[in-house]
Amino acid sequence: MHSHVRPNAHIALRLPSGVLKLVEATPNTNINLGKFGTFNTNQIIGRPYRLTYEFLEQEDPKAQPELRVVPASELHAIALGSDHATPQESRDDDAATEGGVAFDIVGDNGEVIMRNNRLTVDDPSRQTLSMDEIEELKKAGSGSGKDIIEKIMASHLGIEEKTQYSLAKYTLRKSRKYLKRFTVLPLDIPLLTEYVTDKEAYRIMELRDESLGLICSWANIHSGSTSRVLMGEDGTSQIGGGRWLLVDDTGGLVTAALAERMGILYPHEEEDTSDSEGEEEQDAPADTEQENVQNGTTAAAAATTPATTATPDTTAQDTPMPDASLDILGVTAPDATNGTSTETPRQRRQPRPHIPQSSAQTNTLTILHPNNQPNLSHLKYFGFDAGDPKPGHPLYTHLKSLSWLQLLDPTSDPTYIEPELIPEETLATMKSSKRGTYYRKRRRWERTKRVIDETRAGGFDGLVVASSMEPVTILKECVPLVKGGGQVVVYSQNSEPLVQLCDYYSKERRTAFIARQFGPQHNGRTRGNPIDLSEEDELAEEGDEEEDFPVNPTLLLAPSLQTARAREWQVLPERTHPFMTSKGGAEGFLFTATRVLPVEGKVEARGIRGGKKRKISAEVSVEA
Amino acid sequence: MAPTVSPFLDPSTHASVNSLGVLQLKRDHLIPAVLSDSASSDYAEGNVVNTRFGSFTHSSLINKPWGTQILASVVDTGSRSGRSKKRKREANGDADAAGEVGAGAEETAKSVLKAATASSGFAHLVPPTPETWTLCLPHRTQVVYTPDYSFIIQKTRLRPGDHIVEAGAGSGSFTHAVARTVFNGSPGSEGNEEEQPEANGTTTRKRKRRQKRYGHVYSFEYHKPRAEQLREEIISHGLDPMVTITNRDVYADGFCLDDDDAPNADVIFLDLPAPWLALKHLTRSPPPPAVVKSVASDPSTPNAEASSSTLQPAPAAKPFRSPLNPKSTARICTFSPCIEQVQKTVAAMRSYGWLDIEMYTMEHKRLGVRRERIGLAEEGLRGANPSPATVQEAVQRLRDVEDRAKVFHGLQKEKQEQVMRRAEAKKRGEKVSARHDEEKEKEEKKKKLEGLPPSKHDRLERAKKESVKRPLFKEGRLVCRTESEIKTHTSYLVFAVLPVEWTTEDEAKARKKWG
Repeated sequence: MHSHVRPNAHIALRLPSGVLKLVEATPNTNINLGKFGTFNTNQIIGRPYRLTYEFLEQEDPKAQPELRVVPASELHAIALGSDHATPQESRDDDAATEGGVAFDIVGDNGEVIMRNNRLTVDDPSRQTLSMDEIEELKKAGSGSGKDIIEKIMASHLGIEEKTQYSLAKYTLRKSRKYLKRFTVLPLDIPLLTEYVTDKEAYRIMELRDESLGLICSWANIHSGSTSRVLMGEDGTSQIGGGRWLLVDDTGGLVTAALAERMGILYPHEEEDTSDSEGEEEQDAPADTEQENVQNGTTAAAAATTPATTATPDTTAQDTPMPDASLDILGVTAPDATNGTSTETPRQRRQPRPHIPQSSAQTNTLTILHPNNQPNLSHLKYFGFDAGDPKPGHPLYTHLKSLSWLQLLDPTSDPTYIEPELIPEETLATMKSSKRGTYYRKRRRWERTKRVIDETRAGGFDGLVVASSMEPVTILKECVPLVKGGGQVVVYSQNSEPLVQLCDYYSKERRTAFIARQFGPQHNGRTRGNPIDLSEEDELAEEGDEEEDFPVNPTLLLAPSLQTARAREWQVLPERTHPFMTSKGGAEGFLFTATRVLPVEGKVEARGIRGGKKRKISAEVSVEA
Repeated sequence: MAPTVSPFLDPSTHASVNSLGVLQLKRDHLIPAVLSDSASSDYAEGNVVNTRFGSFTHSSLINKPWGTQILASVVDTGSRSGRSKKRKREANGDADAAGEVGAGAEETAKSVLKAATASSGFAHLVPPTPETWTLCLPHRTQVVYTPDYSFIIQKTRLRPGDHIVEAGAGSGSFTHAVARTVFNGSPGSEGNEEEQPEANGTTTRKRKRRQKRYGHVYSFEYHKPRAEQLREEIISHGLDPMVTITNRDVYADGFCLDDDDAPNADVIFLDLPAPWLALKHLTRSPPPPAVVKSVASDPSTPNAEASSSTLQPAPAAKPFRSPLNPKSTARICTFSPCIEQVQKTVAAMRSYGWLDIEMYTMEHKRLGVRRERIGLAEEGLRGANPSPATVQEAVQRLRDVEDRAKVFHGLQKEKQEQVMRRAEAKKRGEKVSARHDEEKEKEEKKKKLEGLPPSKHDRLERAKKESVKRPLFKEGRLVCRTESEIKTHTSYLVFAVLPVEWTTEDEAKARKKWG
């Protein structure tokens, strides 16, 4: 995956300054990197990711700029400082004889062996080039920017006085500013996280890599493509099947992260063998060009109906996971053929069988959203538009969404009500547009009903929450939908909502909850429960019930709270230390717990030893 | 026959026989057990997990839905049918110590007794996950814990279908975690499903029958017994179709396996004492000897002599084969506790052309949430601070003490005076009805004490009595703090990537294709 830059893929470009730029690699278009220059996408399409390119110097400024791949040794040379330019880095020895001392060491012949910063003068006038002159240079230079840096360095009066390290730092700083390079990166979750964090961290609840990693691990996210949906104890409920329930207020970032771990995020498998790859790609440009003609603009191409954007890649329609959706194909095929014919009136292509949306049985994500439509804007970078999903994308079948209203009170949602069934004969006499509307309505209802019924049946493998809503209200509704042994993970920027949540599942509250359930006759034996509650008292307490026990505290085991932060270090010869500055902001906390099935009736936990020990063990046992 | 699916990947609905289950007693106290229904154990009730909250028979766990709260059973732990056998087992039974409780091998004819429920406690039966396994695995070496491995998986972009090489398998926590991540089915498990698309004749005429790439973990361990133990573990966990364990010294012998193109790795994880010595095997083309020598000849490097000498003949003997997947960016992570290791590793990475080298440390902490109750009402109660909660309370307490003291002093004085009076009267020869006096005194004392603030004894008594009625679960201030034990340093994590090799011919070809 992500081996080569595919046409029309979303990619990221890292500029020397460290800034990321997200672009779509549409063939035959120019990408403008501002002061760094402009290049054509065809110069990077088909090449591997992670290469760094440099603009080559050119005689004619009007000519198509040429790019050069910068070798690794050259890339490292900048960071290491001029001395370390060679690939061998065993100069540590030289540095050891030379460095490590903070004084000027003057050799016998008066030659300075090692400098320190005693003589450093902090004065801008030491750079003899004026601002205008540098601007002049920038305009004149058409190449890699190395010449500018050289000139600037040459014009610095104090360059000789700089220590080896400060010189390296100075060069690095100038390189970041003037080098005309960029690196092509695949747009994946860590990169998208970094990009959004730099721009508008609040939109993704200030999630960092480490938090996302923890979420995926604790929620036990993995591919459930071969999992089975099994019958529950009662013979009706469903359990497992690699289905996760999700509440996502990060614009789809968490959804994408989970989908990546489940193998349903990327539109197509990129595992072509090299032979077939060549063959396949040979006709690719032709196809796209043709398409450009058809649709006028290239940008519109991606968003139009599935049938028209039939590049070889999408026609391949290779959902990497075999999904059970295909079972349903047989059932819905007749109306589907009609449906697609109305959908694509322009082209008389072979009607493609209709694959119902959100129809996968296993390896699915179900999203609960507060508005009518889920906000999954970040999924657009992965070729999935929630408003107009393409059937070729794995998320088309594996992503399901429903609103809170649909979950809690489906009958008040109009899409849940079955549209009138029109017999075939009547249908045949109808106008094709009307017939199309009819089928569309039918299908929407089928999809909505299927998703709602499935979700309400529960048995999910896990619950992941990253929401600005009060977590306790979410868990009240969602925890019962998780299967026994399933994981519950709640992310929040701040600790307070999760601390409160932990308290609602605390062992003391659980003990009190159980005591209240079983009434006064057992009271003497449990610690810390109200005794002597007469019947009336108990009725009076009912009112508090909701307030004291907004959630059933016996449903979650071992609720715990954690936070993690990765600290980045600079590793350079003789200069290894943590970075001096990094991003602050939300710490990011994670609540984790396991859904359990409490036994019916009263449970005692006395421990097996007598005396004092007994007391302690009784307590910890409840804690468990 | 359908291959059995690992309980780590698809745990089904119930705990089943001969499959791993985990008993969770406390948050960090979990006991793994391969459930067995054979009656071969020493107990009449069959195999038993003994804990401080009682004994749990395997028969009470088998076929229970995951997540069920299990009550302890009454097991006669005193009179085992074969005491000597048990002792013998303890003597040579490492497997038992390793937590696979009651894996008695001998099959006997007796049937398993049904045990009665004990009131000693309960536990929860939870399905195994890499996280629960990390908490209860038998430690052989340093464990890579959840915060570290989750970050590594995230940073190395490990995905379903990837191949990962792990060197230094150690305790196997990382092995389990990445096996879960790369899992995307196994060759046998979906043969029939794969045929369906064709049967339905979906859309694509030109679709090629592509070999689906299944995720795989190639694990290398230098230490033979550890490798063996891990192999057994992996098999008993049903992960063997997707985890290959090799006992090998990767510094000397590299990562390539005898299969055609294994490991064909996308991601590499090195948990080795000297990762820089293994890097020479992780290249796309034979590394220039000068570079290899410069990395290995670092005077402070242990084994430098040995490994460089073993290296020399190797290329001659075998044609070079890269263990990396030629079609994907290779991602590497090394896990080293010391900064010196990091410096050497990073230097070697630069020499071998790795890019985007980054180093991180992970700071992870767990927070304890509790209710902090402060106040005089908490006197004598457990888990609370009985000092005054407010200035007012403090003042009131001081007043009370003063008041009591005053009365007591008064009483004492009176008593003394009375004694004096009596003595005087005795001296004078008068006879006083002592009993009458005493009763009167008691009465008086009682009266005086009545209006007084309660004594400490009374207070404690009262606090205890009232505490039973108080909803302690919602009293006090809700606080959270870092737990008392934190891992302040696990290891330094170095990340880097090695792009796909790109030659001038490739470039010319791409240029021709794309213009």
